[in-house]
Amino acid sequence: MNKKHIKIIEDYSNIKGRSLWVDARRRLFQNKAAVISLFLIFLIAFLSFFGPFFLKYSFSDTDWNSIYYPPSLNNGHFLGTDGNGRDLLVRILYGGRLSLTIGILATLVSVFIGVIYGTIAGYFGGKLDIFMMRVVEILYAMPYLIFVILLMVVFGRNIYFLFIAIGAVEWLTMARIVRGQTISLKEKEFIETSKALGQSNFMIIWKHIIPNLAGPIVVYITLMVPSVIILESFLSFLGLGVQEPLTSWGVLISEGSREMETAWWLLIFPGIFMTITLASLNFIGDGLRDAIDPKEY
Amino acid sequence: MIKFITKRILIAIPTLLIIIAFSFSMMRVAPGGPFTNERALPPEIEKNINAAYNLDKPVYEQFYIYMKNITRGDFGPSFKYKDFSVKELILNGLPVSVTLGLSAIIISLFLGSLLGIIAAINRNTIFDYSVMGVSLVGICVPSFVMAPLLSLFFSLYMGILPTSGWNNGNILNLILPITALSLPQIAIISRMMRASTIEVLNSNFIRTAKSKGLNESYIIRKHVIRASILPIVEYLAPASAGLMTGSIIIEQIFGLPGIGRYFVVGALQRDYTLVSGVLILYASLLILLILITDIVRAILDPRVKI
Amino acid sequence: MQLTQKNIKNNNLLININKLNVFFNTPEGLLHVVKDVNFNVKKGTCLGVVGESGSGKTQTFFSITGLLAKNGYAEGEANFKNYNLITCDDKIRRGFLGKSIGFIFQDPMTSLTPHLKIGDQLAEIAIYHKKITKSEALQRAAEVMDVVKLPNNRDIINSYPHELSGGMKQRVMIAISLMCEPDLIIADEPTTALDVTTQAEILSIFNDLKNNLNIGLVLISHNIGVIAETSNQVLVMKNGQILENGNTHEVLTKPKNDYTKHLLSCIPPWIKN
Repeated sequence: MNKKHIKIIEDYSNIKGRSLWVDARRRLFQNKAAVISLFLIFLIAFLSFFGPFFLKYSFSDTDWNSIYYPPSLNNGHFLGTDGNGRDLLVRILYGGRLSLTIGILATLVSVFIGVIYGTIAGYFGGKLDIFMMRVVEILYAMPYLIFVILLMVVFGRNIYFLFIAIGAVEWLTMARIVRGQTISLKEKEFIETSKALGQSNFMIIWKHIIPNLAGPIVVYITLMVPSVIILESFLSFLGLGVQEPLTSWGVLISEGSREMETAWWLLIFPGIFMTITLASLNFIGDGLRDAIDPKEY
Repeated sequence: MIKFITKRILIAIPTLLIIIAFSFSMMRVAPGGPFTNERALPPEIEKNINAAYNLDKPVYEQFYIYMKNITRGDFGPSFKYKDFSVKELILNGLPVSVTLGLSAIIISLFLGSLLGIIAAINRNTIFDYSVMGVSLVGICVPSFVMAPLLSLFFSLYMGILPTSGWNNGNILNLILPITALSLPQIAIISRMMRASTIEVLNSNFIRTAKSKGLNESYIIRKHVIRASILPIVEYLAPASAGLMTGSIIIEQIFGLPGIGRYFVVGALQRDYTLVSGVLILYASLLILLILITDIVRAILDPRVKI
Repeated sequence: MQLTQKNIKNNNLLININKLNVFFNTPEGLLHVVKDVNFNVKKGTCLGVVGESGSGKTQTFFSITGLLAKNGYAEGEANFKNYNLITCDDKIRRGFLGKSIGFIFQDPMTSLTPHLKIGDQLAEIAIYHKKITKSEALQRAAEVMDVVKLPNNRDIINSYPHELSGGMKQRVMIAISLMCEPDLIIADEPTTALDVTTQAEILSIFNDLKNNLNIGLVLISHNIGVIAETSNQVLVMKNGQILENGNTHEVLTKPKNDYTKHLLSCIPPWIKN
């Protein structure tokens, strides 16, 4: 180690302490992977929602003269066309719109259920807690994807129902995390103080417990969105999710894998878009977790 | 130990009952009967069909019959594969799915733990970065993207492995499906193992072991592994659940006649008995695995009360 | 200082620390936590090291035994049996660790491997360093357990750490450090996590070790009362520097440094004999 290039701190007694959130933000922005991922996610989201307006093809336009065009810069089909002559780029962007929307909405559903369930179990404790966590444990033992499929089979393949079904199975982990945090929070002095001041249980949960759960919830949301996107694509891949003429990344990948022998781009490009999204969300989630709860890894 | 196991089994039974009741009620709640897709049948025939499937009896009686049959391993006739019972379909697919799932879980556990430990010991070296980088790919590329890519490369481009088919369990036909199935789990397990090993390496009792002057490989073998493998043991059940759902896709892509394929066809055609039969089978398997997990954990960690 | 010079010739010297520096690499820069520290430890005596937390007292001894965290490194000399422990090969240092130098840590609750039986944790060190069989090692374990006054040792040998109390675990830790008949034992806050009665018992064990087994003892503590009870010589550390180094009685009765005076003023008068 060359000491000459590094500042040597002889008097470290006046290194200042930093607040948790300032520190967390600093660590997050020092994490290059997380910063790049944030940029990529915003880019993909922006393109998915606004990109199609700037392209000359619509996602359902079939053109029998341009079937299986390979990617090219000359004819405007930048990523090629599929077996119905539809422009792949537009379809990927539309698919992204749907995949991201389902990812976010289903995550919100599951966070909503999970936070309410977890805080109630953790805050009130006792027999109620034991019962509620037993239910979670039972649901954990369910092969949850098969459970979603069963729901889809029973209630029909409806896109709105899709994210409710996904949200309804993804809340379990959230509920566990929230419960654990709530239990440790309710022992803290400021909760005792609020109780002594005569605040109602509802107000204590709303004003003091839930705001303090922000850290783990934010981390969990960023890690849950990708798993929901995978789940949706998985169902769509099997033909149980999003139906034609609507499209999602799962649908595109499913079509692409069937036609990869003739048109490799139909598999590769949707796959790349999806992988970048999933990887970025995972990086952001990991970055946030390390930033909020630093450990030496 | 026997008392511990009986207690766990007694907890598992109600769980299974609830799952069975749930899948039963899902089937009854379902809008329309199982034959709504077809032309309207003459009332005479419909009545006969309902009687044949016990649909004319009160719900509680139907549930009782259903439960009684399940204890004998009878999930009823398939609504769509008219000539087969669900049991026959499951037994048909079981050897394929078990071969696939069991090899995948053994490979994932072994390779994942091994890579994770080596990465943790050599953390922040090239080896660590490359294992973590590859495992990131394993996590971020979903199996239904990875599997077609693998078959595109190894079967269509290189031409060294068959694209699909069971071929009586020929090892060459199994390589790609098993690889595609285990990759995500290897990735997750190696990351978990790395994280838990690093946590153990930073713990006070490892500092004690170091202060005894023991060499590193001895410390890893005697003091580290048994503590750091605990999270992996806990992950056994979720990993198996992941492999079960993964195998549905993999069987589809590689054209393997396993349970997953019947399940997808059943789901697409609203074959309730088949779908709920598979659900119950998978749920029982998972409950069994949770039981095994509890026992293994009790063996590894003396702090767990038996 | 004159006194220490004489003792080197007396051949009573166990370890000599010379110009020891310890640094830590942190995001803020290089932290210099131990600054040009010099001292000696002699056979059959106890060196007390006292200072507030963050004074560098623990890191001084971690650097000697190669237990520094990954981002830390040391410079200087720690001369022990013709080797400089700071610069010597890892293998040589490991050969001394556990065999000639025993280390006892602050927190007995977490310092034992949770999944190994006490007997195994005692025996492995002797099996490893002395190449003896397990039954011989267990016999040796029974002996050292008598030294640390662990009752009923057959049961304890077959139990797991979580089945023992904090005081018992700390006795096990001391027993582990005694397994190979070491010359030097470094005890880092060995009594801080324990209640007062247990504290007194553990300290009396240390007194026995020093007097009967002729072991050189280093006792690190922030509690000047603990130091006063056991040590012959005392180091007062602050901010990585040694402020005072001398005979315990002299330092405690006629402190030269303001910080030492301040430390002493923190002890209630009825405890200062």
